[in-house]
Amino acid sequence: MILHIDMDAFYASVEQLDNPRLKGECVIVGGLSNRSVVSAASYEARKFGVHSAMPMFQARQKCPRGIIIRPRMDRYKSVSKKIMSLLREFSPRVEVVSIDEAYVDITGCSRLHGEPHEIVAHIKQKIKETVNLTCSVGVGPSKFIAKIASDLEKPDGLTIFMPEQVSQFLEKLPVGKVPGVGKTTLKQLERMGINTLGDVSKYPEKSLLKRLGKFGRRLMELSAGMDDSPVMPISRRKSVSSEETLLSDIDDKKVLNNYILEQAESVARQLRKEGVKAKTVTLKIKHADFKQVTRSTTLPVPTQSSETIYQTASRLLDQYRMKTKIRLIGVGASGLRTDSAPTQMSLFKDLKSNNGNWEKVDKTVDSITAKYGKDIIKRGSLTKSSHELE
Amino acid sequence: MKFKIKKNDVLDVLSKIQGLTGRKSNLPITSNVFLQTTNYGIVLRVTDLETGYEGLYSGTVESEGAVVINARKFYEIIREFPSDEIQIDKIENHWIKIANNNVEYNIVGMNPEDFPESPHVDDIEFFEIDSIEFKKMIDKMVIIMGASDEKRAHISGLYFEIIKQDDQNLVRMVSTDGNRLAKVDYIYSKDSELPSGPGILIPKKGLQEVVKFLDFEGVVQVGFKNNNFIIKKDSETIIIRLLEGEFPEYHDIIKKDDANDINMDRQLFLMMLKRMSILSSEEYRGVIFSFKEDNLIITTTNPNIGESKEEMHIEYQGKPIKVMFNPRYFIETLNVIDEEKVKLNIIDEEKPCLIQGEKNDRYLSVIMPMRI
Repeated sequence: MILHIDMDAFYASVEQLDNPRLKGECVIVGGLSNRSVVSAASYEARKFGVHSAMPMFQARQKCPRGIIIRPRMDRYKSVSKKIMSLLREFSPRVEVVSIDEAYVDITGCSRLHGEPHEIVAHIKQKIKETVNLTCSVGVGPSKFIAKIASDLEKPDGLTIFMPEQVSQFLEKLPVGKVPGVGKTTLKQLERMGINTLGDVSKYPEKSLLKRLGKFGRRLMELSAGMDDSPVMPISRRKSVSSEETLLSDIDDKKVLNNYILEQAESVARQLRKEGVKAKTVTLKIKHADFKQVTRSTTLPVPTQSSETIYQTASRLLDQYRMKTKIRLIGVGASGLRTDSAPTQMSLFKDLKSNNGNWEKVDKTVDSITAKYGKDIIKRGSLTKSSHELE
Repeated sequence: MKFKIKKNDVLDVLSKIQGLTGRKSNLPITSNVFLQTTNYGIVLRVTDLETGYEGLYSGTVESEGAVVINARKFYEIIREFPSDEIQIDKIENHWIKIANNNVEYNIVGMNPEDFPESPHVDDIEFFEIDSIEFKKMIDKMVIIMGASDEKRAHISGLYFEIIKQDDQNLVRMVSTDGNRLAKVDYIYSKDSELPSGPGILIPKKGLQEVVKFLDFEGVVQVGFKNNNFIIKKDSETIIIRLLEGEFPEYHDIIKKDDANDINMDRQLFLMMLKRMSILSSEEYRGVIFSFKEDNLIITTTNPNIGESKEEMHIEYQGKPIKVMFNPRYFIETLNVIDEEKVKLNIIDEEKPCLIQGEKNDRYLSVIMPMRI
């Protein structure tokens, strides 16, 4: 059996925990400006229709007495770490999906920890004791069922599906609840007359595959209760990125370049922290009209150097023909491989030496940052005064 | 303007220039062919702004003038044209009529005045080179291409130099992508007349197009002047604009220590590497070569797929060396060596491995290992 554990309104709950005056209030976590979006909302705020990913100005309209708090990622991360290590006491097979979500495979743990409902009760109690937060748990024979189950009762819920209950439940499950079904797919399915997973199983297989491709196959399997995706204890990251919504829409490449520099450093720092190198650098741009474009370059040699990532992203920006102002800019790195993986050596030493020096700079900056914090050392062009020039 | 051409006179060249006109450039007109009548026949010109081709073809001119027409469509029309004789007329507004008695095409053309001029280079000191040999040399060089990068001219360009030694003169080409390097020489006798001067960087992309025109027995004229590399044969000329940049010092890299020569059967080695590369992927592309006394073991490990191992008897008396390479580099090199036996020259796991044919040392390739 597999558990899916989902922390209740995680960011907002941590804020309420740290500041008791926020208890019972509508807490909205997200950027303060009207241009940002909601990262999390407390259950009190959700009653007013506020939910995550909603633009902040809309959240303010819906819930005028909401208290808006800037996210404190470092704090959430440290709480998350405690929770995840606690889960690992129950089973070594813990897959961390995100900061507030994890799967735990408890197959074969019953002799040690008891029946599923006993294990869940124990986990909930431990989390409550350790970090004083609640979570909702779904239990099922597969990740898919567990994930849906955890969503059924919130907050502090528990839903268990034993294998024999699954088919009856799936029959009536609205397809919109299936992970991976977004707005577009949902509309498409509705047009095909498919509303529940039961409808999927009755739909002719050929035309389903023709219309939905690979995802059609996945839906067929799910409707039959088949999901053998394993709980993966080490989830290898596929990409690292950093992006920011600008204070106002701009088209000045010099100013944008400053953002890129800061983001490239953050991306490279994460790469070095995780011990990986990236093969591809991506520049992400969202225009004032919300149109989004990405531009990528594949590097000849994988990198984790701030300078290389900055230079590459900066060149992409330079080559990009901007027709309208930009609202959001970001730098990403993908095609990750461990830095202990074999690397092709270069024939010409002289062409490499420059990079070698930057590596030393990176190492030094990293160790200073690790000791004194992120803002203690940065590029001259990233000091406050130059940023305020905008 | 009005003229007649024969299908068989131009079909071949129209097919060969598609590579050039198919390239993206800053000017849309470069996807077109420029045709102009002269006293000697019809001049055909194409360019991608870096490499330009010009040729003269026989035709019957009725009235003078020039047209510019989409190269792809012109080629397709000529290729499928039912008769050998084809009449080409310029009508109003750069429209072009292509016709015989029964068939008629009217095609939108562009203004011939907008077609980029080809660079004028006079007084070039040409020298001759065997066409087939020249083609083989370029073929060996252009397999080594890196990602195009304006900043690294030594990678997008091939280094071309003329070396005058005591006993012989030679034309040398050197090509690298930063991880490997190959050189090939063309030998002239001592009394041959070759121009002097520093080496030049010719874009490999342009040379890939040149190769298409070298498929015949005979010689071509080669020369360079004022940042242009020129190849000429009868009535055909190709001009390539040279790249600006330095080529790294490579002589130490291709120097070898004869003591470490290992002779191998090219075909057997090639098959072995092909089998090894079945398991390589983007992330795990390395293959480990373990040289021991009279024995070579090659292994590959891809955690996502599995492992493979193969042994081969070789004559080797040196110290044991364990070194990792990208097998693709070896496969590509072995593919262009036209001898049965090859020589590897390996020093240690940090230094490049040299490969060449057993008898012929005009061609040599150097491959840098991977760091394990």
